[in-house]
Amino acid sequence: MADLLTHLLVPYILLTVASWRVDWLDQRWVIVGMGGAAIPDLIKLEIVLEEKTVESILGHPFSYDPLSTLGGVLLLAGVITVAFERRHWRRVFGLVTFGGLTSLLLDGIRVYADGRASVWLYPFTNWRPPTPSLYVSSDPTVLVVALLAAGTVAVVDRRIQASN
Amino acid sequence: MRVWVRAVIVLVLCLILGGLFVHAAVTEEQRSPYPDAADLSTGYESYVGQHLMVFGTVTETGDGGMAIRVESDGTAITLRVTGTEAAVEPGGVVQVYGTLEPDRAIAAERVEVVNSSRWAEFYKYGASAVGALGFLLLFFRYWRVDRDTWTLEARDG
Repeated sequence: MADLLTHLLVPYILLTVASWRVDWLDQRWVIVGMGGAAIPDLIKLEIVLEEKTVESILGHPFSYDPLSTLGGVLLLAGVITVAFERRHWRRVFGLVTFGGLTSLLLDGIRVYADGRASVWLYPFTNWRPPTPSLYVSSDPTVLVVALLAAGTVAVVDRRIQASN
Repeated sequence: MRVWVRAVIVLVLCLILGGLFVHAAVTEEQRSPYPDAADLSTGYESYVGQHLMVFGTVTETGDGGMAIRVESDGTAITLRVTGTEAAVEPGGVVQVYGTLEPDRAIAAERVEVVNSSRWAEFYKYGASAVGALGFLLLFFRYWRVDRDTWTLEARDG
């Protein structure tokens, strides 16, 4: 997968641009959407607590893979949503899910040697969507492009805010 | 909304997620069309001639090939990869798509270098750590935890 910083920058760019047209979408809501982009990265819990360890405690096979799928994003978006006040739930759930989806899509276009991405639509389907294989996860170009785009959007955003 | 109602919702969602963690592991075979390291180490011969894709850590490089270590579920197997000139150092990570040959070898059709060396891995974790820290700082600049209701509230009301 792309690094977490890139994952966070993509919804920042998209939501900030959207905020120029959508009144309620201010900086604090953009940040909530960015949070969703971190969900698929939680698969790296493996570094802290290995699947093998959990398996031996549970006595069942265990895999963190669902965290980087649509199912994992929807469920954790629900958990995050409940942390907010009831009147914000619809908005939070939408934004967090959106952020998670941008990460899944970004990871879905990275390189797979057989031309098919991971099963990121799990558990809804076991189908592996085709990938255009645009980048590998350690390619700094992806982060550089994301940083440049985010920087540009931030500057434009500041000007728009100032003119209002 | 009462705290306990929210706690129940969180609990239910987490239980479903926990179920997925187990379900995904149990039904893994349905989603991976290729044999993994454990399959190869137990029934290698039955996969010879088949297409497969593996992720592996490079252990050796040489003319027209390399050796990679492939791991799954605690089982590791070393495979020779032939027909590749991929620029990678030992310690790097590659994806190999090709045909399984006798004597623990893959005739590569496509090799993709995921990490060209160990340093590429550090780069990724570095960028991710910066991302995590930056996000937390930004988030709590705009939001705070209300300790009476245990909800996140916007700092400006």
